[in-house]
Amino acid sequence: MDNLVYVRMRHRVQVRSNQIVKIKDIAKLLGQPVLVKELEETVLLKVTNEDNNIIIVDLVQLVKEILDQNADIEIQAIGPSQTIIEVVYEKKKVSWPLFIAVWILLFVGAAITIMNFHVDVSMQTVHQKLFKIITGKEDSKPLLIQIPYSFGLGLGMILFFNHFFRKRFNEEPSPLEVEMFNYQQDLDQYVIMNENKESIKKIDDN
Amino acid sequence: MTIKIIFTVFVGFAGGLAVGAGFVAFLTVLKVIPRLTQLTKTMKMIQHYEWAIVLGVITGAWLGLQNNILSLNKAFLVPIGLADGIFNGLLAAALTEVLNVFPLISKRIGIQEKIVYLIMAIVFGKIAGSLFQWIYFVDI
Repeated sequence: MDNLVYVRMRHRVQVRSNQIVKIKDIAKLLGQPVLVKELEETVLLKVTNEDNNIIIVDLVQLVKEILDQNADIEIQAIGPSQTIIEVVYEKKKVSWPLFIAVWILLFVGAAITIMNFHVDVSMQTVHQKLFKIITGKEDSKPLLIQIPYSFGLGLGMILFFNHFFRKRFNEEPSPLEVEMFNYQQDLDQYVIMNENKESIKKIDDN
Repeated sequence: MTIKIIFTVFVGFAGGLAVGAGFVAFLTVLKVIPRLTQLTKTMKMIQHYEWAIVLGVITGAWLGLQNNILSLNKAFLVPIGLADGIFNGLLAAALTEVLNVFPLISKRIGIQEKIVYLIMAIVFGKIAGSLFQWIYFVDI
């Protein structure tokens, strides 16, 4: 019982290139303090430049490392069974020309698609008819509806993405933040399955 | 004659049922109402929002199919236009295609902190496109 160590691997950690990764960097250990201290300092791997920017450490590798250190230890694993190590090279600079190009692309694309949508649903005719119903007069260009409509369109989108009211209204994540999270989750799931040596086994071990 | 009338009523009713169900399904998929209740913290009032949608649809259908003239002041048009726009904006923003594009683009060009600027590009694009269409494009 004295040799029981609880291991909880972290989901995702960031390291610098050439950093030495110790067990304490990627997992939380609980147990006899003396034992845990010693284990935590164990060097697991050294990040080299040849490594890709993602390294996966599986639980079995960690267990092997711990048992190599001290074969009497009993390990109880809780939580994720692998850690994604993300190697952060120097901070990527934002490429401004690319950013501006994407910005213009989104701007023009959004403008044209909304025009297509309006034609598709005969928005002009609906607005003309609405104008007639409410005022009783004909107007081929009911700008009194259409200009507030246009600004309302932008307001509605901002409302949906919720970055004006975030602080004031609540702490709940906006749909975009949830979407970003889901995307990251999918990517993580992919690298866990595909970059983890322990979870793939091919014919002839190649 | 009676059979014809009954049949016509039945066809009209069936058509309305299908369109109404489709409309609600559309709103549900886009999660616009949950989003609004989340923003305003009025989850308890959701039943009233349902009624707002139902009554709005009925009013709109009726006004659209009849030729009633309300003869109101022109000033009424401004809030109606604004509400129309906000609702459409919510729908446009809620389309999952739009939501799925942002995480991808921001990761590709490495600007996760500046994603707000990309959203603003879409928002301004929508406003500009809409204004351009109503003021200039419809005359061509």
